Amino acid sequence: MIHVRDLTKSYPDLQHGEFVALNRLSFDAKPGEIYGLLGPNGAGKTTALRILSTVLRPTSGTATVSGFDVMTQPSQVRHHIGFVSCNTAVYDRMSAWEMVEYFGRLYGMQEEPLRARMEDIFERLQMNEFRDLLGAKMSTGMQQKVSIARAIVHDPPVLIFDEATTGLDVLVARAMLQTVSELRDNGKCIIFSTHIMREAERLCDRIAIIHRGQMLAEGTLEGLRESCGEHDLEELFFQLISEYERQHEFLETAEAG
Amino acid sequence: MNWFNVKLIFAREIRDQLRDRRTMFMIFVLPVLLYPLLGMSLLLVAQFVQEQSSSVLLIGSDNLPDDPQLVDEDRFREPLFASPEKRDLLKLEFRDEPLSDDDGDGDHMKAMAVQEMDLHGYDLVIYFPRNFDVRLQEFRDQLKQRDGPNQTPAAIPSPQLFFDKSKDKSNLAYKRISQVLRLWTIEIGDQNLAESKLPATVTRPFTFSNTDLAAPGHSNTSMWSKILPFVLLIWALTGAFYPAIDLCAGEKERGTLETLLSSPAERSEIVMGKLFTIMSFSIATAVLNLAGMALTGKFLISQFSGLGGMGDIGPPPMLALVWLPLALVPMSALFSALCLALAAFARSTKEGQYYLMPLMLITLPLTILPMTPTFELNLGNSLIPVAGMMLLMRETIQGNYGEAAKFIAPVLAVTLICCWFAVRWAIDQFNRESVLFSEGERVDVGIWIRHMLRDRGPTPTVLEALLCGVILLVIRFYAMSSMKPQDSFAGFAVSTAVIQIALIATPAMLMAVMLTSSPRRTLLLNKPALLTLPAAVLLAVALHPGVLALGKVVSDVFPMPSAQMEQINEMLAKVQADAPNVWMFLLIVAVLPAFCEEIAFRGFILSGLRHLGHKWQAIAISSIFFGVAHMMIQQSLMAALVGIIIGYVAVQSGSLLPCIMFHVTHNALAIADGSLSKNPRFEWLYSGAYQWWIVALGAGIAAALLLWFRTLSYSRTEEELWQETVDKPAQATTG
Repeated sequence: MIHVRDLTKSYPDLQHGEFVALNRLSFDAKPGEIYGLLGPNGAGKTTALRILSTVLRPTSGTATVSGFDVMTQPSQVRHHIGFVSCNTAVYDRMSAWEMVEYFGRLYGMQEEPLRARMEDIFERLQMNEFRDLLGAKMSTGMQQKVSIARAIVHDPPVLIFDEATTGLDVLVARAMLQTVSELRDNGKCIIFSTHIMREAERLCDRIAIIHRGQMLAEGTLEGLRESCGEHDLEELFFQLISEYERQHEFLETAEAG
Repeated sequence: MNWFNVKLIFAREIRDQLRDRRTMFMIFVLPVLLYPLLGMSLLLVAQFVQEQSSSVLLIGSDNLPDDPQLVDEDRFREPLFASPEKRDLLKLEFRDEPLSDDDGDGDHMKAMAVQEMDLHGYDLVIYFPRNFDVRLQEFRDQLKQRDGPNQTPAAIPSPQLFFDKSKDKSNLAYKRISQVLRLWTIEIGDQNLAESKLPATVTRPFTFSNTDLAAPGHSNTSMWSKILPFVLLIWALTGAFYPAIDLCAGEKERGTLETLLSSPAERSEIVMGKLFTIMSFSIATAVLNLAGMALTGKFLISQFSGLGGMGDIGPPPMLALVWLPLALVPMSALFSALCLALAAFARSTKEGQYYLMPLMLITLPLTILPMTPTFELNLGNSLIPVAGMMLLMRETIQGNYGEAAKFIAPVLAVTLICCWFAVRWAIDQFNRESVLFSEGERVDVGIWIRHMLRDRGPTPTVLEALLCGVILLVIRFYAMSSMKPQDSFAGFAVSTAVIQIALIATPAMLMAVMLTSSPRRTLLLNKPALLTLPAAVLLAVALHPGVLALGKVVSDVFPMPSAQMEQINEMLAKVQADAPNVWMFLLIVAVLPAFCEEIAFRGFILSGLRHLGHKWQAIAISSIFFGVAHMMIQQSLMAALVGIIIGYVAVQSGSLLPCIMFHVTHNALAIADGSLSKNPRFEWLYSGAYQWWIVALGAGIAAALLLWFRTLSYSRTEEELWQETVDKPAQATTG
């Protein structure tokens, strides 16, 4: 469903010359699975997911979503994904219903099927009591529900969640995770990025640990525990990253010397 | 482009803006309230100004003649005023003449006037010197006894007026009293004539009778034809600016832009949807303000005329209110696209606000220029963006429909071309990650310079190319003001060499060495394909008749003052005559500029601009720099056009040498043309200008050569390769 090969993204950076945000990242994700991207802040998770949603273009490498190339067929890619991130806010001056309807129309849905679909989603996500409330007056939880409704209104096969629980309280975050796992059960291919270990542990079928734009490890939770010989995910995560930093430092001093 | 999506985005943005209280206030409430309020305060202020009186100190009233009287009781005599009320506006106070020995000399009186004005707040001091009446009487007596015309009576000492031009009240007092004194002097003159037994008509044997031929309802259009278009355009710009900021920078700030970008809507659809929204608000703002101003103006003027008139200002022509909105649509489109592209740059609404100033600075001269009386609608002026449209509106309001109709086509063409570029620019901005996702960087010149020197690419960046262009222009501007015209060959050669080598080639070469890792690639110092050299020379020869013909059209459209033209021709002729031989002259006028200008414009600047990703954009912008560097509009236009051809040769051949060959040939032919046209042997092909068939033949050969250049495989920059991959599928789906 999603194939990422050698995805690289670099930016010109005034202070350090070129900044490599993503360094030859490769992974695959299948329908009916939640693929977790776990990494500290600034690891390159957002960059990777922005490339998958065609908002950014990769410097090199390829990525296909549902068989469409993000570089050459960005429009088709966008038709087949739903993208929720901490950076995709809801419109302040639009009600929940209008917002979801607007995006449904942008996805090319006809009026009648759209209405039926929206009634269904508003019912399932329990959004009916604030369907006419303007975005500016919604609580963060309500806004997040609207974002999810907006992302799934066209029933895409692929869903991308980028740090989607950031800033949510425990109850809302829990409900959100519940929704995500239901979507997986419906056969969606889901990419879920987070820096919170608990979320990754509970939700993800497979996890990739990313740091400084590079993949340090990948596998099921069990597989990762076995290969690293460490049961606690947080400890495992920390070990991998400090090991990388040590090597990195060594290389840098070797280069400088 | 999917127009359904554009419509969808447009409808949403409009609804969004209409739900914003600030927008509603700015666009709908302000014009409805603002103008009546302004009008009301104007009425109040006007009454205040009318009723304010001036206080005048008169020194030496004893020296005034008894007949004709200037002062009656404590004020100026009533017949000296146009209306009796005006008499009350000049309050008089009297002071005796100071007793001093110096007979009221200038400095003494001046000091006294200053003191009086400071201490007692007089607006004006008037002084009649001692014995003024006596001397006036003597003068009149002498007139009566005069023997012949040659005998002139002794002069009368001048009365003095002291006022302060830097103070409005003092100025007003001066204006009022001047009227009074003028009438009084005429009375004295008339009396003198009467006493000399001459009729008063001796000095004014006839009067001019004036008839205003303006059609009824058009007599006041002159002022309105300047003010209304100005108001309209300024509001169209302002009305476009704030929604643009909210729709771009505001969305970035609120985080909704990324939501929209990840939807299936294409960037071009997003831009068009937003553009139409901004346009709607721009038009609405302008029309409402225009209507508010016109209605208030009409009401005010009818009020004033009830109060005794306000000069020759009449109500605005209402027919104009129908024409103006028509002209408004393309202007709003242009302003909206410009604002959108600028607003896309801004990271936040606050940053966006800062961009209004530069935008205004560019637009204001273009809108103020057409308000000057000498600036008239003609072909040349109609080709100036914004200003041309203003002139068209001016003519339309004045009712000169025939004159206006002639220039609708060029004005519309220029406006639409500008529109198209602005829209392309806006779409380009939305395709740029660095613009959409730019983060705040610390401003540090040191870091920036280090970055420029450390992260050098083989060729300069777009920014460095633009910087080079601007630096060259600025240097050129300052050099121009300090260089004197030369008429000896040696002086001319030195000044040309300094300009070309030191001010054009050297900066470009220095920048190439410092800012790029491959100056050779930057300055296109490659060996070209051998055939490109004769092809470039032939191209210049073939284009020459066409260039000449076009140059004639340009100088007809934008005529140069003939005195200036003669001066230049004379100087060139002198220099040429002074040159030791024709080769030296050619070296200085043709070869040297070709080398130096090519290094700068086709070398550094074009190489850097090619990182834009569109080779034609790069060629066009480098040609604009090349044109502007020629500093004279007629030369600039031609240089820019020729620059496009040379730029194309540079891109296709990948080498500077064919460009230099073209440039040398082109310059040499331009010089040879002068001597050629005087030679009777060439008369068959040349009669004032080349025969049309030669021009056509040349154009045909040039087209064939350009087609040949097109078949050459040229090296593309990374950005151009990327743009090609993006454009291809788009073309496949639209085609």
